[in-house]
Amino acid sequence: MTKHMQINEDTWEIGGKTLTSRLLIGSALYPSPANMEDAIKTSGSQIVTVALRRQSAGAKAGGDFWDIIKSLGIEVLPNTAGCHSAKEAITTAQMAKEVFGTNWIKLEVIGDQYNLQPDPFETVKAAEVLIKDGFEVFPYTTDDLVVAKRLADVGCKIIMPWGSMIGSGKGLMNPDNLIAIRKQFPELKLIVDAGIGKPSHATQAMELGYDAVLLNSAIALAHDPVKMADAFKYAVEAGRLGYESGVMQERAFASASTPTVGTPFWHQNI
Amino acid sequence: MIKISVNGEIKEISEDLNVNELIDELGYTTKGFAVAVNTTFVAIDTYANTIIKENDKIDILAPVQGG
Repeated sequence: MTKHMQINEDTWEIGGKTLTSRLLIGSALYPSPANMEDAIKTSGSQIVTVALRRQSAGAKAGGDFWDIIKSLGIEVLPNTAGCHSAKEAITTAQMAKEVFGTNWIKLEVIGDQYNLQPDPFETVKAAEVLIKDGFEVFPYTTDDLVVAKRLADVGCKIIMPWGSMIGSGKGLMNPDNLIAIRKQFPELKLIVDAGIGKPSHATQAMELGYDAVLLNSAIALAHDPVKMADAFKYAVEAGRLGYESGVMQERAFASASTPTVGTPFWHQNI
Repeated sequence: MIKISVNGEIKEISEDLNVNELIDELGYTTKGFAVAVNTTFVAIDTYANTIIKENDKIDILAPVQGG
């Protein structure tokens, strides 16, 4: 058995693509472009997030970074990071479609600069326009059930609730909220996006029945990003296998697993 | 000459330029970027018909790392 053998043979579909990996990975914050490339490859991820920023005259558009991403041959998911209104996000999505040649867009509209919490009102507004314009929208949102409902109402087939604040590494703050969204929308693709800090967080999200997880900082800011990418690959697969296997019911009290029949050293009083 | 803002910097450019001519005058030589004028996307096939006016705010964006 090789170390990198795919444990789980299952496939899933998102945005018209059939994939085997349920780990979406970011391309930012790595110590070097080479390290980013190695980490993405090791993670087994088939979707990588990218962004758009202002370009100076004379510079090569995208630089070496973009050449590396293209050479990986995996799906690209552009984001609208940094946008604070539906209008900015819609324009960024349209620009991303032209530059990256994809109708996929990770819709981020930030409502608070301190905790980078998404603005639910502007996110729903932008999602509605973009879906009518033919985009496959991956909306980043909180774990609020009603916001998820509104996104579904305007046609989102994918919803990406946060685990916790972007880059915080705090894991899943409100697992019960994530469970409620999963139960309410069995037909939608649900991805936990943001806040995952360690592999066990990703496993937990997958055990809740989420279709995938999206993360960046947890791998890129590890002391060894490539090894952490490996850890997350297995963590996501373990969580998915656990979900598919059917987790046991919790019990209020202890229940011995070793048979009680034949327990030694117990004797009737003579 | 007219004053416009390009990626947040004030620039003086010739009058009545379309987006193709603006890109040339600013010195953008490679492809792979997208343009917005006053926060509205300008598709590449409409560059020739989009004339830049005084006080326009231009954004020229290219791929970068993202999460």
